[in-house]
Amino acid sequence: MTLQVKIDRGVTTSQYEIDWQDDMTVLNVLENIYRYHDPSIAFRFSCRTGLCTTCMMMINGKPDLSCQKKAEPSDDGFLTLSPLPKGRTIRDLIKAY
Amino acid sequence: MLVYESVVVMNVISTDVLVIGSGAAGLSAAVYAANVGRQVLILDKGALGRSGSSVGAVQIAGLGDFSHPEDEPNIYLNDILDSGRGLSDPSLAKILSNEIDKRLGEIMDWGLKLDQSKDQNVLLSHTSGHRLPRSLSAKKGKTGLGILHTLRKKATKNNRITTWSDVITVELVKDGNRVIGAAVIDLTTNTPYVIQSKSTILATGGAAQLFPVTSNPVQSTGDGFALGLQAGATLIDMEQIQFYPVSVAKPASIAGLCISFYHYSKLYNANGDRFMTKYAPDTLEDATRDVLSIAIATELKEGRGPLTLDATDVIDQVKQEFPHEYQLCADQGVDLAKEPITIAPASHFMMGGVLINEYAQSDVKGLYVAGETSGGLHGGNRLGNNALSECLVFGARAGIHASYETFTKTPKYDLAKLDKFLQTKSGQHRPFEIKMLIQEVMNQFVGIIRTESGLQEALNRMNAIGQKLQNIHLSDTSTYSREVLDFIEATHMYKTADAVVHSAFQRRESRGAHYIEEYPKLQNAIMHNLFYRRQGQNELRQKEVHPNDTTSEN
Ligand SMILES: Cc1cc2nc3c(=O)[nH]c(=O)nc-3n(C[C@H](O)[C@H](O)[C@H](O)COP(=O)(O)OP(=O)(O)OC[C@H]3O[C@@H](n4cnc5c(N)ncnc54)[C@H](O)[C@@H]3O)c2cc1C
Ligand code: FES
Repeated sequence: MTLQVKIDRGVTTSQYEIDWQDDMTVLNVLENIYRYHDPSIAFRFSCRTGLCTTCMMMINGKPDLSCQKKAEPSDDGFLTLSPLPKGRTIRDLIKAY
Repeated sequence: MLVYESVVVMNVISTDVLVIGSGAAGLSAAVYAANVGRQVLILDKGALGRSGSSVGAVQIAGLGDFSHPEDEPNIYLNDILDSGRGLSDPSLAKILSNEIDKRLGEIMDWGLKLDQSKDQNVLLSHTSGHRLPRSLSAKKGKTGLGILHTLRKKATKNNRITTWSDVITVELVKDGNRVIGAAVIDLTTNTPYVIQSKSTILATGGAAQLFPVTSNPVQSTGDGFALGLQAGATLIDMEQIQFYPVSVAKPASIAGLCISFYHYSKLYNANGDRFMTKYAPDTLEDATRDVLSIAIATELKEGRGPLTLDATDVIDQVKQEFPHEYQLCADQGVDLAKEPITIAPASHFMMGGVLINEYAQSDVKGLYVAGETSGGLHGGNRLGNNALSECLVFGARAGIHASYETFTKTPKYDLAKLDKFLQTKSGQHRPFEIKMLIQEVMNQFVGIIRTESGLQEALNRMNAIGQKLQNIHLSDTSTYSREVLDFIEATHMYKTADAVVHSAFQRRESRGAHYIEEYPKLQNAIMHNLFYRRQGQNELRQKEVHPNDTTSEN
């Protein structure tokens, strides 16, 4: 199975097609993109257990923890990721602390 | 190409006390140093106060007015020493057991609220290896978060403390035999800086990312051990790595999640046997972590996996005491009220570390160490919930004692040395691949059950990885580049892993968390492994522990 992913990177939007297992979280998808598709993708995470909240981003239009949220396409067929609207974005999906 | 000639002066930042790492230990150190009146700079390679193992900690062991009527510092001390398998430094253990009530009292004054039982008393629970119930929690089992929140608030309100997120320490800077600051890179701008400090406190947490399955956050890459080593400090007993015996193996999305209620649940192998009846008939699942880890690893090695944990009988207690863990499993599709969960050990805690004395001082002038990065307190087996207590007690000690250092000197450090991390490279190996290679070697040969031939092989493979680290492929040098971060971390991981493998190879007995098949018994003489760097070469020597000995006299 493959999954179509769209990432809002400020000035541009990048699109990827990745190998998809249905137990993948959004964070697993991002890690897969970094390793095998695009080493320049920037995202933040730490605990992977829903506690630190540093992996928070907009997932298909809603704020959620990327380490906990299952990776699924929305109605338009894409998993769409963008940075949280509030606060300064350092790059791609990373917010300043 | 970056040009530094004119920038060197501009990129020097001065402070009294530099704290590297903002977990419970680093934040405590910062707050106590500021209370003495010093200017403090605390930095973190991730989001400040949100990026270490402290975030995930569930309970803290402690004493206070609320203690069990029979509990007192001496009883706590003896539990630590019994558990340490002869390697726990009595002088450090004594400080922990004597000072924890004071430090807990202070953090409660600053706003930490301990969880209460139904009868409105402080909730005290039992943890394996502690002979009396002395585990406390806050925020309904999100104790680490509660502590970080309290300390972060205290730190940001204090105008003597400057906080700085997303800055990684690459090297400590020395003048002769003294640490006088650090060389760092601000990842958000890719700018290198030299920090000049009268004292420097390492509080970078552990190294559990040396293994592929871990309970630890992604930042636990062992940076502090590598930084200490490079600065000339001694690492003690680095082979003593604690595995959390019972962590989630499936679903993969939460692999490594610690299960805190294993001691009152039941563990089964694939044949349906409750296997702890064989390994620890008296305590069953309520055994210390070293015993349980070896039992579980043996079952897996001998082909009786997958192993499962059944908590259906005790689910009410689980939901009351560990609601976050119950909910996480449920969210990922496993309802523990109805079904068992597949478990395996996960690398969890570095019990070795940078050797410190009673003042949290390393054997290099100007360099202090606190929390998981320091070594010697827990010896061969850390008791559950003693890590957070260690952070509060030794964080405070480090902060206070580091404040009395007055020597200062402008570092002569060539920032161009950091260029190699910030430039594209056209070699063969991406930094994340190096990290994975290290994890593979550690997992295969330096896990719970070790063999002499396996450790020899690990030494050989580490050499090969060292060469690959010289042949890096790095294509992304934009700001906040994960490749730059991975490259710096891989460099730290390599040095720390090397210290672990050498120390493990040297210990020809099975003691604490170090189990080696050829030498399954204890030797009579109790030895510490001391690993250090002199004239550009790593060296290892053993030092015998005498009764009443303190390693801090080294
Ligand atoms: C899931 C989990 C559960 C646990 N449960 C418990 C428990 O219930 N009770 C208990 O007592 N202990 C528990 N532990 C252990 C305990 O949480 C840790 O040992 C302890 O919190 C470590 O605190 P620390 O301040 O030393 O380091 P950390 O909290 O790990 O903080 C280190 C910080 O240093 C930063 N850093 C690292 N390298 C660099 C660098 N090169 N430059 C700049 N910054 C750097 C990191 O980003 C991080 O923020 C648990 C651990 C985990 C992972
Ligand atoms: S990584 Fe910590 S909440 Fe997602």
